[in-house]
Amino acid sequence: MVMQTPTQDIADLISRCALRDRAAFRSLYERTSAKLFGVTLRILKDRSEAEEAIQEVYVKIWQRADRYVAGGYSPISWLVAVARNHALDILRARRPVADDIDVALEIPDAGPDPERAAENSDERSRIDFCLGQLDGDKAEAVKGAYLDGYSYEELAEKYSVPLNTMRTWLRRSLLKLRECLTA
Amino acid sequence: MTPSDDSGEPNGGQALVAEFVLGLLDSAEHARVGRLIENDQKLRAERDFWQARFGALNSGYEDVPVPAHLINTIEARVFGTPAKTRVNIWDNLLVWRGLAAGALAVAVVAVGINVLTPKPDTAALATQLVAALSEDGSNVKFVALYDSSTGKVRLTSLSGEAVPEHDFELWAIQGGNNPVSMGVVPVNARSEVVVSPDILKGWGEGSVLAITLEAKGGSADGNPHGPIVAKGPVTQI
Repeated sequence: MVMQTPTQDIADLISRCALRDRAAFRSLYERTSAKLFGVTLRILKDRSEAEEAIQEVYVKIWQRADRYVAGGYSPISWLVAVARNHALDILRARRPVADDIDVALEIPDAGPDPERAAENSDERSRIDFCLGQLDGDKAEAVKGAYLDGYSYEELAEKYSVPLNTMRTWLRRSLLKLRECLTA
Repeated sequence: MTPSDDSGEPNGGQALVAEFVLGLLDSAEHARVGRLIENDQKLRAERDFWQARFGALNSGYEDVPVPAHLINTIEARVFGTPAKTRVNIWDNLLVWRGLAAGALAVAVVAVGINVLTPKPDTAALATQLVAALSEDGSNVKFVALYDSSTGKVRLTSLSGEAVPEHDFELWAIQGGNNPVSMGVVPVNARSEVVVSPDILKGWGEGSVLAITLEAKGGSADGNPHGPIVAKGPVTQI
């Protein structure tokens, strides 16, 4: 007999939410809400806003649980992405819209390996290694954009560089990061 | 097309998906890029790539307990006003089919992490069996799903508490034969049990799975001694 891992437990709870199992929703909430509240609080930096956001996040999780099964993320990454994206949506709605011309999307030639979509300790050391290949400030800026949801404006101010310089920095860093991550 | 080292502005388009995932685009651009990604398989793969790689940074988020009163507000919003007639999940065949498909999909996702994912075999669904295990007067409930492609029963404990100095033991009852032990099973966890060749001979619709409360470590002589806390017939789905 093999015990299931916590990851499979979370995946199972999400699947049961898709089947409208209320008890499963409560268990999922009990096991994951502290993590997701940590996400909304860190990005929104305001307790009452983060409390409002966490409610919306769990409403979304309940409504979208069926989409998880079809996805390739690890279950906790999927939940964090729901929370993070919701918090970023709130911030984005307040930020000014730049007057950019539409840039065409291109993907660098070396495509990502879809079989390596999961997050695990190897991935953590991999991204740490690749971030380590960037200049210190640039690695911090990328991390700040991900974990804190900083905008280009906030990053430019934080590192005391002009806005356009920050954009160039970061885009170049992302391409280097991608090269390293797909190597 | 490798990015040139330090000469000039990199082409913004190449980093656009990463910027989208990071949340660096303004609302109009975010919506535009989001639509492009949804409609293009390669861009979706690129988005998932970044999502998964950056996801490795998630341990940087610290747990912060949510104020206790929020769960009530959330459940009220999610479920609406408390349902008057609760759907009986045990009787709903669609739910079982969904559960089986969900379980299969989760298993496929797990496999996909390391090896090339085999296409889910739709025929495998046809040979799945399910049993809902419960008993009046007991709060111990399990769901058992048997998948003929693995030869295993996956057990999910839905409710019930561990009893000190005791273990729950799973039994297969087939025809008029004595129960055959399938081993000790955990509560508040999921587990997998291989169906032994002995049991497999008579396995199928009509078999009954039962759980008894036995002494620590399970019955010593291969026969159940404790009370049945949950049981249920095996049904094809």
